[in-house]
Parts: sequence; C-alpha cells; structure tokens
Amino acid sequence: MKYRRAEDSPLFTKLKGEEHMIIAQIIANGILMGFIYALVSVGLTLIWGVMDIINFAHGEFLMISMYTAFWMFSLFAMDPLIALPICTILIFVIGVLTYLGIIRRVINAPGLTALLATFGLSMFLKNLAQFLWTPNFRYINNSMVSGKTIELGSIVIGVPQVVAAVASIILTVAVMLFIDRTRTGKAIQATALNKNTALLMGINTKKIYAITFGLSGACVGAAGALMATFFPIYPASGALYSVLAFVSVAMGGFGNIKGALFGGLIIGLAEALGGYMLGTQFKYAIVFLIYLIVIQVRPKGLFGW
Amino acid sequence: MKSKLVLLLAVVFLTTSLLMGCGAQQQAPTETTEETEAPEEAEEPTTVETVRIGAILPLTGGAAATGVKLRAAMEVAQDIINGEYPELAKVPLAKEVGLPNLGNAKLEIIFADHQGNPEMAKSEAERLIEQGVAGLVGAYQSSCTKPASQAAEQYGVPFVAGSSSSAALTERGLNYFVRVAPNDDIETAMFFDYLIYLNDKYNADIKTVAVAYIDNEFGVHAKEMVEKWVKEKYGALGFELVGVVPYAVDVTNVDTEVQQIKSLNADAVFHASYIADITMFVNKYKEFKVAPKAVLNYCGGFQDTQFVVNLGSDSDYFAGGAAFSAEKLGDMPELAKINEFYKAKTGADLDGPALEEFSSVLVLAEAINIAKSLDGDAIIEVIKNTKFDAPYYATGAIKFDAKGQNEILASYMVQTQNGKYQAVYPEEIATAEPVVPIPDWDKRN
Repeated sequence: MKYRRAEDSPLFTKLKGEEHMIIAQIIANGILMGFIYALVSVGLTLIWGVMDIINFAHGEFLMISMYTAFWMFSLFAMDPLIALPICTILIFVIGVLTYLGIIRRVINAPGLTALLATFGLSMFLKNLAQFLWTPNFRYINNSMVSGKTIELGSIVIGVPQVVAAVASIILTVAVMLFIDRTRTGKAIQATALNKNTALLMGINTKKIYAITFGLSGACVGAAGALMATFFPIYPASGALYSVLAFVSVAMGGFGNIKGALFGGLIIGLAEALGGYMLGTQFKYAIVFLIYLIVIQVRPKGLFGW
Repeated sequence: MKSKLVLLLAVVFLTTSLLMGCGAQQQAPTETTEETEAPEEAEEPTTVETVRIGAILPLTGGAAATGVKLRAAMEVAQDIINGEYPELAKVPLAKEVGLPNLGNAKLEIIFADHQGNPEMAKSEAERLIEQGVAGLVGAYQSSCTKPASQAAEQYGVPFVAGSSSSAALTERGLNYFVRVAPNDDIETAMFFDYLIYLNDKYNADIKTVAVAYIDNEFGVHAKEMVEKWVKEKYGALGFELVGVVPYAVDVTNVDTEVQQIKSLNADAVFHASYIADITMFVNKYKEFKVAPKAVLNYCGGFQDTQFVVNLGSDSDYFAGGAAFSAEKLGDMPELAKINEFYKAKTGADLDGPALEEFSSVLVLAEAINIAKSLDGDAIIEVIKNTKFDAPYYATGAIKFDAKGQNEILASYMVQTQNGKYQAVYPEEIATAEPVVPIPDWDKRN
C-alpha cells in the first residue's frame, strides 16, 4: 500500500524546513544513544583488550546494576544518581569475585573455556534475577532527572540522556587517564601486551587481572545506574545493550577505550539516521552492515593496531 | 587441534541444547498422525484420575513478565475446575470437583516455556503431545502460537488459543485450532467504529491514522488489517492511512520511531506493541511532546496492568480493545470472584489477555467433559459445535465459527483514566465517557 507521506520521505525529496529540524533531532538522539552504547562498551573492551576474554555476562552485570539502582530507589528512596557509587562499587566487587571464583580457574585452559564460563554465568544471573525479582518490567519514573527535557529551538533533549552522555565522556577519559598515568594502569598495559614478560618484571598479573575485571564491572555498574533513570529494568534488559556493545568494541578496535567511544557513537548515529531514512525496521541491519564493512576494511577495528 | 575441535563441538552442543530446550531431546516424530493419536480413544466414557492438558507460554525471555501472569490465570482456571465453588455456579465446571463426566477426574496443566521463540514453541508442543496431553492452550505471541498449533494439527490434538490475536491464525484452514480472543481483523474494525463514534458524538475530527507496530507476526498482521479495512470500507468513510512505522522485536530505543510518528502528524495512532515497547513509546511521546488525538492499542502490552503501574499518570488517555475492566466488576460477580483468585496469586487485577487465557482452559476442559473422552477428534467436535457459557465476559458466551474464531466479540474499548481502565465503547456497556482529544502533555496535571 502506498502512503501519502511515502513520496515526501527525506530520502527522495529535498528537505523542507520542518524536516531539517526533524533530522537535527534525529542526529541529537543518535549521538545521545551513541554515548549510552559507549558507556556500556568501555568496560567490555577493557577485559577484551587485557585478558583476551569475551565476557558474555557483561550485559547481566549491567542488569544487576540497574536493579540495584531500582531497589535503592524503591526501598530507600535513593535517587539513581546518588546510588551511582553504590552500583559502581557493587559491580566492581562482583567483577573481582567473578575473576577469583570463575575466570582465574579457566584462564589458562585451552580455547573457548573462559568464554563458555562467562556464558554460563550470564545464563545463571539472568535466571537468578527472574527468580528473585520476577520478570516484570520496572521503571524509575521519579528520579531527579526523569521526564525533564532541554529544548533548543524545536529540538528536545532528555536530561537523563544528557547526564548519561556527559558521564560516558567523563568515564572514558577517567579510564584512559587511569590506564595511561597510574602505576596500576601501566601494569595493566604491560600485562595486556605480554603476560609472561609482565610477570618476569615483577607484576602480579593475577592481581592485575582481578583489578581489570573489577574496573570493567565498575564501568558497567556506573552505566547501569545512569541507564536506570530512563530504560526499563527487567532480567533480559542488559542482554539487548550488550550485543550492540560487542559490535561497538569490535568496530572501535579490541581493547581500545577511545575506539569503544567512537564505535558507540557510530552505532547510535547509524541506527537513528539509517532508521529514519530507510525504515525503522532496518535500523539494526544498517548497524551490522556498517560493522561488516568496517571489519572488512580494517579487521582490527577503526582504532585497533 | 583435537582439543579445539572438542571445544567447538561442546559449544555447538551447548548452544543447540539452549535453543531447543531440554525437552527437544525427546524429539517427536515429524510425520503424521495416524500412529500418534491421543492416547485414549475410548468410545465409552473414560475414567481417569487426571486429565492432562499442555500450556505453552513465554515464561522466560523478553515477554516473561506477561507469560508468568498468563500462567497464573490458567492456574486459577485449574483451581476452579478442581475445587468446589457453588458461588461460581454459572461458571462451567466450577460447582463440582474436576470433570464430572470423567469420574470427577482432576485437571492438570503441564506448563512449557517457549521463551518467545517460535522454534521452541513447536518443539515444546510436540514434547507435550508425546507426553499424552489431551489438548493444548497458549502461546500468547502469535508468532509462537502459529508453529505450536501447526504441530498440534499434525497430531490431531485440539489447540485452544486464548489471547493470540493475529487474524492469520484462523485463516490457515486448520481443523484442530480455535481462538477465543477477537483477532486483529475484528479489533481493527472496532477501532474504526470507535473513531466514528468519537467523531459523531464528541466532534473529535479524526481523519488520519498511522500504525506503529512490532515487526513480527502480530504487528505485521495488525498493520495489514488496517490497510485492508481502509481500502475496503473506512477509506470511503473519510479515513486515511498516512503512514506505518515498524520497529524491531528487541528494540533498545524508539527515538527514531517516535520522530517518524511525529512527522506523520496523524490524528490517531494504532499501536501493535508489547509491554516493554509501548512503555518506551509513551515515555518518548512525553519527551518529544507527541500527543495524537487518540492512541488505540491492539491486544498486547497496553492491556497489561503493569502499563499503569510503570507509567503512573503518564499512562492516562491511551485506549485499546480489552476483554476486562476492573470497573465492571460490580456488575459481574463471577468475574469479581475470579479476579479475587487471580489477585491473590499475582497481586494485580486481571487484564484482557489473562482473562482470555483463563477462558481457553475452561473451554478445553468443558469440551473434554462434554466429549467424555480424551480423543482429539471427539473434543474438537464438541469445541466447534458448542456455545460455551462465559459469564465472566460482558458478552456472556463463547462460540467458534467454522474457521475456529470466537464469533462473539469478547472485548470492548477501554481507556486509561486516572490510572484505571474504563470501558468507553460501546456506549451501552461504558463505565466512563471517553476523553478525546488526548490533552497535550504540558496541559496535564
């Protein structure tokens, strides 16, 4: 069936004044979503880069952080932004415990063992969340930023998304500075480059691995608290974002923190603009198409080396 | 190399097991039918201790929140059948224990989880049939009901769908499939009739319509029904379909979709959405100040009472087809009692899909009782030729047409007002007047 508006689609005609504003709005939305994908990706790329492990449970760490923010809000009326340090520390601890309890035992095992271990952990956490908290969708609608918007002309931007975007930039820069400027960060880099040489240089690589897993958890913990202000919270909520985070990390370059940020932005913009121009049912197809093209041209990702 | 190969095989095995579910290991034969009839074919009244039926629902995965509630509704039906409830005398099988024609046999529902995965829905249906269930109910998502009922057809086992609404389900010429809920074909016509009512009585001046739909069996078919009805009838009555906005099943955000809806500037938006997506849409409507004159929802997420819980006052003024409104409980004592049982299990009031799944169990059980047999042919014969009492529906009965569709419209239009689902159309059953147009977001309290 042909619709009256089909021939007015921005793909086929010159944009009229109003449509310029819509495109501007779409770009703004895409950038904000991109920062959110980046927020989830930073922790993932850290583990990938340092330990060469794909953490399938990354999305579930995000989900646990979102639930933590939700329960802090429901039980103690604590705003998710105030609960952010609690979420960050909690998921840091869960990250360290995951390394000590699971990953440490399988990291030297051949091939896919570590990957399968994180896969099992992800299934366990998802089902545990459903058992403990039911599969109901939950929302935090009354946080200090919920429902607030900033209007720039006719462009409307949600305050929760802006807060998450700013936090995403701060977090990325903080992790980069930590890795580049601190002794622990340099030890992480050394371990990532060559574990055995790092060990010979006196670096306690087991401790470094535990810190890396914890740091990755802390990043996704912060992401969860921020996202809880504007996304639904349910046992499978983390899994949706983690798929796009995997793409973002692979697109930006494995282990490259700056790459994860730009990868996230590319995904956000591609799905927003592509979805608007070509049809919303194709928006994820467009993201994965761009990903396929990028890895054909640069197999190690845009910022990989 | 060898160890890598072993690992690879392990991954393949693990993934396959997860996708297929544990039950898939008991693969049912895929050929037919004659040798895999239901276990009992007695012509004499069968005496059994327990009659088993299978229920396939999304108990984990994205739609688990709804699936768990539907299971509770089915369990209420099971409890009513197996207990003695003289106060529910008008509800079939309520006043006596079990199925009286089968020696008061108890009903047992065996639940299976399809996780929203059509493949798994099919394999779980086959597994349940292999276990000897007399009939199947479920499966909520039309995309899962389709393959599951196809499997039931192959084995000659009756399938009574409660809330799956894709009209295509009853257009396949299946002999063992019926559906209680109004399909999206009937619902679409009701939506347009409601808009005409709003235009005539409230001068709503609604002419243009857009459809936002989830890109699966349910959503695509709902969209096709709007296209069909505009072309065949309502276009001539002044309605125009100005655009459609599909979105992916596991959508992470709906910013772009809402911008498209905004740019279409339709007077009314029809939504075919589940609870997670419709909630995201409403949040974005508020953020981007999108307020069409009316938003009408097909049977799905809007009808889930969690919609009101999650969105608070932002949920007000949305409308949709539903078989249940808590505001009507005062007029319907049986429904009030059933709702009480359901609330004791879930802490929430019933909703349309839950009531429809509840009734699917009662219909199947009553048919088995009347047939006095567990034979699929005997049961479906009864299902297709009986008018079932359903005092818990406003229309009071269920009767299936030749295609298996319940021809007595079980639902009406409800609109959320002050956090309650008020019946607003047809006028004779309304509990409140509709609010139209939906107030602008900045003019709400």
